[in-house]
Amino acid sequence: MADKQETTQYVPDDSLSSVSAAGGNGYSENTHSTNTDGVNTNSEKRVFTLEDIKKQERANRAMFWTMIRGAVIRRRSRAAMAIIASLVGAATLFVLIMVCLVVPAQMTEEMRAYGANLVVTSNQTGVTENGIQKDMVEHTTEMMTATGFSQTHATYRYETVRVNSASYQMAGIDSSEVKSMNQFWDVTGQWPTKTNQVLIGTDVAERLSVKIGQSITVGYVDDNSTGTILDTDGTRMQIVGTVSTGGNEDSMLYVTTDTLNKLTGKERGVDAIEYSSQATGDDLTKLVNNINDMRSMNVTAQAVSKISTANASIITMLTTLFWIISIVIVALTLVGVSTTMTSIVSQRRNEIGLRKALGASNRSIAVEFYVESALYGVVGGILGVLAGVGVSEILITTVFDRAVELNVWIMLVCVAAASLIAVVASIIPVHKASQINPAVVLREE
Amino acid sequence: MATNEILLHLDHVSKIYGDLHALDDVSLSVPRGQWLSIVGSSGSGKTTLMNIIGCLDSPSQGEVALQGRNVEHLRERELADVRKNVVGLVFQKFYLVQHLTAVENVMAAQYYHSVVDEKQAMEALRQVGLEDRAHHLPSQLSGGEQQRVCIARALINCPEIILADEPTGNLDEANEQIVLDLFKNLHEQGTTIIVVTHDSTVAGQAQREIMLNHGKLVGEKWNDQEARERFEELVQSDDSIAPVHEAEFADPTKSAKDTIDSSNFEQA
Repeated sequence: MADKQETTQYVPDDSLSSVSAAGGNGYSENTHSTNTDGVNTNSEKRVFTLEDIKKQERANRAMFWTMIRGAVIRRRSRAAMAIIASLVGAATLFVLIMVCLVVPAQMTEEMRAYGANLVVTSNQTGVTENGIQKDMVEHTTEMMTATGFSQTHATYRYETVRVNSASYQMAGIDSSEVKSMNQFWDVTGQWPTKTNQVLIGTDVAERLSVKIGQSITVGYVDDNSTGTILDTDGTRMQIVGTVSTGGNEDSMLYVTTDTLNKLTGKERGVDAIEYSSQATGDDLTKLVNNINDMRSMNVTAQAVSKISTANASIITMLTTLFWIISIVIVALTLVGVSTTMTSIVSQRRNEIGLRKALGASNRSIAVEFYVESALYGVVGGILGVLAGVGVSEILITTVFDRAVELNVWIMLVCVAAASLIAVVASIIPVHKASQINPAVVLREE
Repeated sequence: MATNEILLHLDHVSKIYGDLHALDDVSLSVPRGQWLSIVGSSGSGKTTLMNIIGCLDSPSQGEVALQGRNVEHLRERELADVRKNVVGLVFQKFYLVQHLTAVENVMAAQYYHSVVDEKQAMEALRQVGLEDRAHHLPSQLSGGEQQRVCIARALINCPEIILADEPTGNLDEANEQIVLDLFKNLHEQGTTIIVVTHDSTVAGQAQREIMLNHGKLVGEKWNDQEARERFEELVQSDDSIAPVHEAEFADPTKSAKDTIDSSNFEQA
């Protein structure tokens, strides 16, 4: 601002500046400053170099920000009002987005981890006559990953066993595989990891009237055997846990593959592979078709949906709710910020009138106010998002019992929305204010 | 030639609000460099006249010419241009931007006019004797100091006319004198000064006084006979110029008596 400009120096002596012919406007106007040091007294038409003009533009830009700074910093209480309005809006918006957008998204993701979305079963013929052998499991898994979607899988070998003269389905599993695949299984006690440990469904436990820690005798029902229901031979197995899912699992028994091999006295491939793939929709259908087209594999692939329709509709409801609430909040914020801006602008009617009397155009007044509003919006938005992070973290961890994943984009969107709302809200009051007739304002007592 | 000498010319100007004639058929010519006072009681139309001269308002009837240019048909933006280039305004209530310092207030006028130059702004403040108060907010300045900031602001763009509405209305005698001295300096520099006032001391400083009553120009008085003679020569050379209003203030219209110290005028 204090750039040295010899040519536009003000009258240096005691005399007030004299008046020369007025006319035109813009930069040439400065020629009216009479320079009495005798150097430029006749410079009616001063030539401005490009550098001079740049310097002048810089000086005016600096003045613009000086005025904005003055308005913001020296009118703290008003600025605080506008900032708080934006802050509340941004914070509410952020918390809403976090709760209603992120939570359903996380729920969807977690539900997808609820078991498999693709099941491969053996056709019991050809290469899978004795179940799906290990190399075939690997081959199928390769087909799954070849599409670019990550997957987890669990294998099952099913056999019919007899406990206390009743038949049950027993599955030989790898506990860690099944556990990670089916995180929603409600398991009490332990998973079977050692030989002759068994995890039983809650229905089974009820029918047998057994508890964790007790033992049961499990007999293998061989298709070719001549055993009768009176046959009480079998292997003693220790119940290490019970499982409850509300599904078929409740009437199953789970042991390690090793235990099942020993019980049946023979090794064979698995009967089913459950895949949990990241692929969804059409991609998943394509995968299913690919596997089924490979007839030589003698397996059947099938897409299964474990996210129930009810769950999906809850998510839709939450999302709809989010939109409705957000629109209401945005509208309320708009009203709040708009009221604040209106009051700020109306308090500055005299100032606006004065600026107009000094020759300010409507546009330059509007720009000043919009920039000021945008500043309030940005500052309020940033503070609001910070507050929102705190609130949503508390809310989501305590109420929804979920971890918060902070999303920078959502933060930016909230700050941008707050600024936009602040500017939009000030359009009407600023437009009205810039129409003020300076004479009317300045006449007011 | 003669029209160049006339900086401001009002030709049968009226301003009508509903039934109220705030200004009623006022004709007035002000030559360049003249110091003119407009006196009259409250509601006599002084401020309306000032707003019209300052291009803050436009007349309902009649024509206003500044520098020989008719401002009647100018759009708002062009009026704003005239305002910032030709007129420097000084108000009774100062109207400084409260959140800007003294020097920033002066710079704001530069900003809307053309180019901001802090050195010039400081120099203008120095001339009104406020250099050391330049970085104070208006709330930290006395009334007199605020009015001096206003004058510095009005001067900064070197206007043709300084238009002051009751510039000493809120000031004590000492500050009134400072402001009048500043005007005197400006007048000596050749600036045209139009002061609206009902203070006879202030009005008496001018070369010429005109009196308004109920929107009509009812009297005219010259404190500087030399200036009057010059003006009458001008009038003779160009009949478009509004002549001297022959009625003296002592004229029995006397409606202004309640606010104007009439004894002062009778002496004259």
